[in-house]
Parts: sequence; C-alpha cells; structure tokens
Amino acid sequence: MQVMSATAITNPNASWLNTRGMWLGYLTSVAILHFILLSVPLFSTAMAWTLTHVVHNVGMYIMFHHMKGTPYPTGDQGDVRRLTNWEQIDNGHQYTPTRIFLTSVPIFLFFLASFYTFHDRAHVTVNLIALAVGVIPKFPALHKFRLYGINRY
Amino acid sequence: MRIIISACSVVRDPRATPKPLLQQSSWSSLWHLEAETSEAMSNGSAGSRPPDMTNPGRPRAQESFPEPPLMKAVFTHLSYGILILLGHVCDFLRKLGMKRDPYTEALKNEDLFKMNLDFEMFFTRNIYRRIRDCWNRPIASAPGAYTDLVDRVSDDCNWTFRYTGTKTNCLNLGSYNYLGFAENTGPCADAAYQSTLDYGAGTCSPARELGTLDVHKKLEALVARFVGKPAALVFGMGFATNSMNIPALMGKGCLIVSNELNHASIVTGAKLSGATVKVFKHNSVKSLEAILRRAVTDGQPRTHRPWRKILILVEGVYSMEGSLAPLPEIVQLKKKYKAYVYLDEAHSIGAMGPTGRGVCEYWGVDPADIDIMMGTFTKSFGAAGGYIAANQDVINYLRGASHSTTYAASVPAPVAQQIITSMTIIMGDDGTKEGEKRVAQLLDNSRYFRQRLTEMNFIVYGNEDSPVVPILLYEPGKVTSFSRELLKKKIAVVVVGFPATSIVEARARICLSASHTRDMLDYALKEINEVGDLLLLKK
Repeated sequence: MQVMSATAITNPNASWLNTRGMWLGYLTSVAILHFILLSVPLFSTAMAWTLTHVVHNVGMYIMFHHMKGTPYPTGDQGDVRRLTNWEQIDNGHQYTPTRIFLTSVPIFLFFLASFYTFHDRAHVTVNLIALAVGVIPKFPALHKFRLYGINRY
Repeated sequence: MRIIISACSVVRDPRATPKPLLQQSSWSSLWHLEAETSEAMSNGSAGSRPPDMTNPGRPRAQESFPEPPLMKAVFTHLSYGILILLGHVCDFLRKLGMKRDPYTEALKNEDLFKMNLDFEMFFTRNIYRRIRDCWNRPIASAPGAYTDLVDRVSDDCNWTFRYTGTKTNCLNLGSYNYLGFAENTGPCADAAYQSTLDYGAGTCSPARELGTLDVHKKLEALVARFVGKPAALVFGMGFATNSMNIPALMGKGCLIVSNELNHASIVTGAKLSGATVKVFKHNSVKSLEAILRRAVTDGQPRTHRPWRKILILVEGVYSMEGSLAPLPEIVQLKKKYKAYVYLDEAHSIGAMGPTGRGVCEYWGVDPADIDIMMGTFTKSFGAAGGYIAANQDVINYLRGASHSTTYAASVPAPVAQQIITSMTIIMGDDGTKEGEKRVAQLLDNSRYFRQRLTEMNFIVYGNEDSPVVPILLYEPGKVTSFSRELLKKKIAVVVVGFPATSIVEARARICLSASHTRDMLDYALKEINEVGDLLLLKK
C-alpha cells in the first residue's frame, strides 16, 4: 500500500465509492448495526429502528459532511483539503449514481423506522430531525456551503 | 482450360495453408516470422486485427480484467471499514492519553513544528504502518533471479525496525529485471568496470555544458538504431525523461490526451507543460476517439481556436495491470484526427516483441507512425536513465530545449557503457545468440507462469504476453499475509494496495525475468499455490 498513488487518478476519494460491492457492503453494514441494536435487551423494536436511523444518519454526517480532506496524501497537492467527502465524490459532479444511492438510504431508513414505530409522534419527530440531518447536507445547492463559517478550515 | 484450372489449384494461397505447430528446439522458431504475415498486415484494412507476430496462425493475445467477484468486494469493503473504525478508536485513545506510542511521543516534542497533518496521516498511521514490513525491504545484492534481503524485525508494531544482522537469500519475483541484465558478472559488468577506470563514475555536468561524452554519442546512435527511429537523446533519469521533456514539447494552447493509468512521471510532465490535459479511460479506444472528436470540433476552451498540437500519451505496457495499449487502433485514430502519439515504453522496451524492440515490433506498427518514442534503461537493460527517439529535427530541438539537458547531469559513463553492452547483446551484434535466447526465455516464462496461475484458478490480470503478472488479492489482510507467507518460504514479491490501486483491486505484482529458470518458477508456483489455498485466493 504505497500511500502515494502514481497515476492520473489524483484523489481516490472521488472514486472509491463507485467500486464494485460498495452498495451491498454499505447496506450490509447498516444491517449489522441494526442487528447489534436489536440484540440489546433494553431496546424495544421501535426504539431499535429509531436508533438505527439516528445512529446511521449521525455517522453518515460525521463521515461525509464533517471530515474534510483525505485520510491519505493525494497527488493533487491538497486541492481537496477543504472539501468534505460528499463534495469530493465524483470530483463534484452532481446526480451521479453514488450520490443518488447515498441520498436515498436515509430516506428509505426513515420510511422503515416510521413504519416499525407505528408512526408514534415522538419517534416520528426524532426521525424527521434525523432525516433532515441526513438529507439536507446532500442538496446540490449546498455544495461547498458552510453555515456561518463553521467547518470551513 | 480444365488443365489450367487444376494446375492453379495446386498452387495454394500460403495464407490459407494451416501453419505447422512451432517446435521448441531452436530459439528463433518461438518467434517464427513469415513473409506472408507482414504481407497480410500491410494488405489488411484499417479495421482488421493484425495477427499476433509470435505465431501467425494464432489470434491476438488475450487480455482479461475480470471484475471482482461480488462477495470478495463486499468483504474487502467491510475489512477496510473495520480497519478505519479501529483506527479512529486508536486515535481517540491517543488523544485521551491512554495509548502511548512513538507517534504520541513525537507529538510531545515542543520544538517540532506541528503541521496539521493529523487526518491526512490517518491511513499511514493506522493502516499502512501496521503492515509496512511488507514494503521498502532493503536488499543487499544485485537484484537478479535471487537476491539477499536484509532481515529486520520490529519490537513495537512496525513503528521502528531493528536489523538482526543476517540476510536471507530469496527468489526475486519483484524486480524489473526482464532480460536478466541485473548481474554483477559477465560482459556488461566487465565493460562497465573498464568504463569506470577510463571515465570515472560521474560526468559532473549537464549534457549541454561539458557532459556529452563519446559514449553518449555512441549510445544515442545505438538507441536510435535499436528502436527504429532516425535519432535519439538519452537522459540520466527515467522519471525526468518524461517530466522534463513533455513540458519542452507541449505548452499553452496545446492539448494532451493521456491514459487514465499513466505513470506519475507522465502526469507530472503534462501538468508542468501548461497544456490542457484530458484523460481517457484505460485502453478504451472509444473514449479516446470521443475526446479527440470533441477536441477537434470544439477547439480551445473560450476562444474556440484550433488546438496548436494534440498529443496522445500512452504507455506500451502498464506495469500495474500488465495490459498493453492497443497501438494499431491508436495509430489509426491519430492519423484520422491529425494528432501526435507519445509512447512510453518503460516496461516494454527489451521485453516485448520477437527481438525485444518493444511494443511497436510486437503489434507490427511502423515506428515511423509513432511520433515520439520514449523508454527507460532501468528495466530491461539493468542500468538507469531514459531515452527519447524521434525524427532528427525533434531531437535537435530537444537537445536545446529540454530541461534535462540543460540542468540535470547526463548519464554516467559506466551506466552508458552498461546500456551499450546490453543493447548490443540483445540485438545480437556481439555475435552470440544470447540476446535472442533471453528475449525468448522471457516470453516463455511469462506465458508459462500466467498459464499455470490461471490453471490453478487464481484471478490474474493482463495480457498473455506481458511479463508483468498481477495476481488479485482484494482484502487488505490477504495482501499482508501473501507477502509475509511467501517471505517465510524465501520468495520476495511486491504487493500493492489502496490507494495506489482501486480499493477492491489490491494485488501482488509479479515481474518475470529471463534469468528465471523453469525450476525457479515451478518452486514459486508450488508455494503460491499453497498460500493461495491457505488464504482462499482462488476462484
């Protein structure tokens, strides 16, 4: 694993999410998370679903919308060090299959969580907030947007 | 009339006659060239596939890049997920002060200028560092078929290494020693030794000042003759040949169309030149044609003026994939769209083609069709440095305009002598059949090794005739274990993973050599077979 790549692909972060097996691996990880939460005897099924949804969206926010730059030195001399992972996907092109997939997973989880919690008011409120956290940062209009300079540097 | 027709039917079209099977008794028969082959190719239309020069009756050599199997890809992603999670946990514990290692100790040093490299070094610190004993292994002998690896152990999980003082003699499957010239005995070594006595070790000057020796003149003439171009220019460093000469040839207002997987030297040269760079999908003629069409019709970005020059940058053999650029189609495209072709033969000069003249000879492409041929002496000639071969006026221009000839020291005389001697041997000008033998041995080794691996159900990329054999390993754990297990069996291999390759395509890259004998390869194959069973690497 030479940490410096020697090809024209200067930022592997742009393309690693397009690789084979990513979608299935991602859904498998969500399923594993869900089963871990279901196994905890304290949580009811409804609680486990809401927690899956919330933990997934918070984790996704931290990984894609909070951490900036790359965990390895890239060949583009730091062009992307101020960009979050979401903004680096496919070098900034919008509406690509990866982006559509990653946007639809929180939405899908929201539907599942609402269903399994019998649309209980408290659960739906929490799930709606989690949905907002999961989907709003992915809007194309918010590409490279920083609210009040938070997370700019 | 019937007599004439029956007489004519006796004289059969030689192309229709089935060719006899090759006998392996003489080396030249392995590369059996026939007049009919070249005739067939010159008559062939632009769209037809030229027959394989090695065996006229045989179809074009197969290239295969099977997609990763889905379950392996999913497990690879999950492996990296676990590693990243553990890495974050370790970083968190380090911040809390609960984990102390050389990294935290180094951070305590107040005098050290703290660059904010925390996240950028995440991968190196948490993943690469754990397994870095598989890379940068020092060797203590010539990198021939066998090489001495310096033994080292780590007491602190690969933060530091300690040399035990011993060496292990290992079978070398990682060096770019294609024709086996990495020897410290023999005619090349003797000639280089004599050259050191005559000229000393260095030239102490760039080529444009006092650094051009008579050896360089001889070498340039020899390289031009070897490659089939009118003139050539040699440089002291292979990487610098690309990165310093592409800027001399291209500038603002020019377009560079470069393959996705081109080497860092080409990418650096393209960036330094100031030209517009477009990238086409690896070996995809369709992608290249689409880009060329667009470029020719649209012109330059804002002004829509025609491009000053369009240069297509390809490599002969891609060392990470083992694939060959489809030269005949690329030459066709370049003629259609009036572009230029720059061919980087770093891994293919000496290693491909019936007499080792590179991919042009392999594909049967006329060297006059390739505008600029570049290559390095590092791989097949056992030396160092690079060359550019082109028309006389291009070489005359480069002699003055190249950054290398102006600022970088020229090829040292012993190195130039090594190249001259090895090239003479390859061409057969020394009167022996040694060169022919080596080229044929390399092809035999490449085909045999790849065929045996495929029979054993390993997933192997690349062209059947290329001396680079990547075995796909996928998971990061298997990458590490493959390297370590083979080292225990005294076989040295090079493994590559993310981010140098795609995240699901980590591989072991085996470079075959003419100095490998059948026995060595059989031993290697036996051990690789066992490790493959142990690590579940097979289909």
